[in-house]
Amino acid sequence: MTKKKMVISQEVIVAIVLVALYLIFRLISSDFGKYTTFLSMMDISYYYVLMAIGVAFPLITGGVDLSIGTGMICYALAGGYLIRAYHCPTGLAILISVLFGVLIGLANGVLISVMGLPPFLATLCTCMITRGLGSVVTGSFAVPWPTAKQENGWFHSIFKITLENKTKLPLGLIWIILLMLIMQFVLAHTRFGRYTIAIGSNKEAAILSGINVKLYHVLVYVVSGLFAGLAAIAYAAVIKTVQPGTGAGMELDAIGGAIVGGVSASGGYGTIYGTVIGAYVIIFLKQGLPYIGFNANMQQIITGFVLIGAVTIDIIKRKVIK
Amino acid sequence: MGEVILQMKLIDKSFPGVHALDHVDFSLKRGEVHALMGENGAGKSTLMKVLTGIYTKDSGSIIFEGKEVEFHNTHHAQEAGIVIVHQELNMIGDLTVAQNIFIGREFKKGFMIDDRKMIEESKKLFNELHIDIDPRARMSDLTVGKQQMCEIAKAISHKAKVIIFDEPSAALTEKEIEDLFAIIRDLRKQNLGIIYISHRMDEIKVITDRVTVMRDGSYVGTLITNDCTKEDIINMMVGRVIYEEPKTHSMVPKDAPVVLKVEHLNAGKMVQDVSFELRKGEILGFSGLMGAGRTETARALFGADPKQGGSIYINGEKVTINSPEDAVRHGIGYLSEDRKRFGIVVQKTITENSTLAALENYMAGLFINKSAEKDVTVRYIRELDTKTPGPEQLVVNLSGGNQQKVVIAKWLVRNCDILIFDEPTRGIDVGAKNEIYKLMNRLASEGKSIIMISSEMTEILRMSDRIIVMCEGRKTGEIAIEEATQEAIMDKATRDIK
Amino acid sequence: MNKKVLAMMMGAVMAAGLVSAPAFAAENLSDTTEGIAQFEGLTADDAYDFQIVVKSFQSTYWQAALQGMDQAAEELGVTYSAQGPASESDIADQVNMLNSAINGKPAGVGLAACDTSSVLESLQTAVDAGVPIVAFDTGIEGAPEGSVVCTVVTDNTAAGQVAAENLYEAVKDQIGDEPVRIGEINQDNYALNIQQRGLGFINKLIELAAEDGYTVSVEGNEFYVDAAEGAVEGDADIILEVRVPAQTTVDLCSTEAGTILDKEDTIAVFGSNQTAAEGLLVANDNREVLGDTVVGVGFDAGTSIKAAVEDGTFLGAVTQSPLMMGYYCIYALTAAANGQELIDVPTDGYWYNAENMDDESIAPNLYD
Repeated sequence: MTKKKMVISQEVIVAIVLVALYLIFRLISSDFGKYTTFLSMMDISYYYVLMAIGVAFPLITGGVDLSIGTGMICYALAGGYLIRAYHCPTGLAILISVLFGVLIGLANGVLISVMGLPPFLATLCTCMITRGLGSVVTGSFAVPWPTAKQENGWFHSIFKITLENKTKLPLGLIWIILLMLIMQFVLAHTRFGRYTIAIGSNKEAAILSGINVKLYHVLVYVVSGLFAGLAAIAYAAVIKTVQPGTGAGMELDAIGGAIVGGVSASGGYGTIYGTVIGAYVIIFLKQGLPYIGFNANMQQIITGFVLIGAVTIDIIKRKVIK
Repeated sequence: MGEVILQMKLIDKSFPGVHALDHVDFSLKRGEVHALMGENGAGKSTLMKVLTGIYTKDSGSIIFEGKEVEFHNTHHAQEAGIVIVHQELNMIGDLTVAQNIFIGREFKKGFMIDDRKMIEESKKLFNELHIDIDPRARMSDLTVGKQQMCEIAKAISHKAKVIIFDEPSAALTEKEIEDLFAIIRDLRKQNLGIIYISHRMDEIKVITDRVTVMRDGSYVGTLITNDCTKEDIINMMVGRVIYEEPKTHSMVPKDAPVVLKVEHLNAGKMVQDVSFELRKGEILGFSGLMGAGRTETARALFGADPKQGGSIYINGEKVTINSPEDAVRHGIGYLSEDRKRFGIVVQKTITENSTLAALENYMAGLFINKSAEKDVTVRYIRELDTKTPGPEQLVVNLSGGNQQKVVIAKWLVRNCDILIFDEPTRGIDVGAKNEIYKLMNRLASEGKSIIMISSEMTEILRMSDRIIVMCEGRKTGEIAIEEATQEAIMDKATRDIK
Repeated sequence: MNKKVLAMMMGAVMAAGLVSAPAFAAENLSDTTEGIAQFEGLTADDAYDFQIVVKSFQSTYWQAALQGMDQAAEELGVTYSAQGPASESDIADQVNMLNSAINGKPAGVGLAACDTSSVLESLQTAVDAGVPIVAFDTGIEGAPEGSVVCTVVTDNTAAGQVAAENLYEAVKDQIGDEPVRIGEINQDNYALNIQQRGLGFINKLIELAAEDGYTVSVEGNEFYVDAAEGAVEGDADIILEVRVPAQTTVDLCSTEAGTILDKEDTIAVFGSNQTAAEGLLVANDNREVLGDTVVGVGFDAGTSIKAAVEDGTFLGAVTQSPLMMGYYCIYALTAAANGQELIDVPTDGYWYNAENMDDESIAPNLYD
């Protein structure tokens, strides 16, 4: 029971850190408090947070999915290319992008669960593959998705709507919160979620309990791929022009967010709300540090230290519990 | 005892290069506790794995409740009513007790898992078994004993007809073993068939009705427990008579110097104010229950865990040991209870393992002096009588006893005069045990000093010149071998437990 | 996940922070006109046939280059055949194509190398076979002596200057009373082409302001602050704020752009490559100040940037000229085949805006 108290406080701490960051940035830079800055920050957060929600599942099994960053770009390239080159309806292109993500997730799952590759290696391979695949599909050429003003650009309003008085609302935040609640429910109250934790905590025991561990282990990576696919749509809506060869490194921000949010780096524990809060800490740092005048190098260094801090807390937590 | 519920006939199973089961017979009746015994590698576990569907048999038949059956996985076997309580606990530490018990067959409300119902059912189950555990507790917060109880409850909740206990008592305290036996008796009354695998002869006598002995993958015979003696069973197991008598007096000369003196050692919760002395040529037994802090004391002494206080003197001189490196420099070697994790590198050769801790003595400039390395390895293979085709054999291919000898060689090569043996014969079969005992006696007579941590009372009584007893992190007694009895040790080992 | 993986992750995060130390100082390339003058009155001594190896075919950028080549080939009465790998990352394929092109002993080979270091061995073969190479689009550093006879690439300094001239012209009326701010987003401070563009812009702006009697102070990224020439410290009429993101991604460029757009005194911003310009547009999505209170200038083309130029969000943008690079590549090959000694040919950056972007001379350079 002592653990439970501690766990709650872990996520609460991260939430407090998030609020504190916001207030500090606001205090130092008045521009940071502008509504437009908030809107921009939300825009850019969606795909990182979606990736983080997805990758939380492999992380909780004690694995990792490094293919989500380049994967996201690859799926966005594929969807955008379909619209541009084949005049594919936007809805269908979105569906195909997401399915592409699911497919790569399935491939990861099969490599890891059925063929027994270490997650790090398997997803590193698919990371490279998706990176190259995106370039091949589009002929190494940046792919623009329809803009909000274009007829087939309706999908932008999934994430942001403009009211009649020109006020913009970050609608995407509502989807993020909704998905967070759904996935937290899935993790805490469904078999899939329970077995995700079981695999991360003691895979051998899970197998001996008669669970179809292979299947669930595959599904974990399918979920990760699915969310990378959803992130691709958010990316397309916000950035609009997708450049091949990019995306590497974005997975680290998502993974870092999940770990900052209390997902155990050694598996067996994590929450989705913690993951989302943690991802926002990383985003606030990335978006806020430029406002208070930290240059590029300092931003990276600070983010690195925050990650070290989060992982250290995780390690200490594990030790204390033992 | 009722009619036969399970019969295994002429079960045969081979792995590449090993004939693991050679036409083995086994039968179990309702309402009996049937011990399955044999040395390590005799085929007990393989037989049980064939029964529960983890392995597929090559030939033979399994008749369960009058019908021939063949299970393809543990799940199948569970559904039919055959469940196994594993030796290594198969619990998922990050889930709660109730979640563990019902894992793989959760109650559901639509998509959702019905945790409340699982908790209620767990409570009912625990009530039936007279176990007091909160189903909402996290599994990793429970003691090993309680986790074992959960495992049993889980097994029973499968509407089991046959329950296999695979060395259930290995990690339990005396009190917990009593509770376990009470549960087993209860299950027997309910007419379940129980297979009980254990190495502990005294337990077999107490709890089982019949004993089946296996040796080298073959069926040796079945005895009625009450009609046979310990020696009968051991003879069937090893095929020869072995010496099992306790030591009667200390082998250490009265004037032997103190080589190691530990004063007021403190390290975490598990080591509180522990002081003792070790003499040259002495085997000092450390006895106590699981979790008494013996291994922790050894690890703190060895520098593997941080100390909060205490002084260590070697040959009268005060030394500082903050890391295993310091300890080794002062001539202390530690033989871990878990050889595979800490003691040896199984995928390397005997030679590489032997010189691992003393490599700097076998260097020629930047390179390893292969011939010197080989010479010393061959010497210790001969001296310790390690059974191997040669020094280049991979350690993974050696038996448990011979692996232990490689670990011993590693420390001898390093010129360690103080050796800490942590459960020296765990996982080693009876025949090889004897050899390890002989070797330890020889090392002591040659002037090495040995600290031996052991959970086996017979081992403690047979090997020690003096016995330190610990309980819950404290030293609760020091007994000369002349006065030592099982009862005296047990009394001190449970002194602090309320 | 085990500790090793984590260590690697952290390593990656931190290593990325360390690479951005300035590697090169900016240097000015020769003036563009001199390079072009050497081709005056050029005729082909023979009906040469050249081999061209491009980075890939599928983008319109390369289509534009080929269009320029066609035009030059027609003018000079020479022929060429072009090949290129399926994508710009198929380095090995391109090397194979280059080797077979050289083996055919053509009058010359025009090369836009996907990866400059991978082609060095092939270039040595070309020297041995006596086949002259003209590098276009991408210069080849460390090419074997005598292999590359001429390099036809965009003069990035000039391109930055073009942006400064147009931007200054549009905002100069607002300068003088109160200090104003002009922003520049550079995606990094270590790639030579970005450095040259960024400094071309900065130094030209300082020069133009000085002509009108205004002072400029440069703030922000240390590399550009230190390399700027003629800036003043402290109070000035124009604050030129140079921002560089932590990574070369559109979203981080947009954050940096956002910090500039959010400032009340900002009157203009320049994004010095496609990523930076797109980041600028993403930041403007929520703020909607470009084309209204703030003048925006982009670089390169691509759908978003072209649309922004078209609807007035951007005042205009500078594009490189694949068309001209292709054109002069054939001229250089012909001159080399004639035996003429050549100097490098830097091509101009082209200014385009809503008015001229459909012109015949501009439109082919504006890839999607």
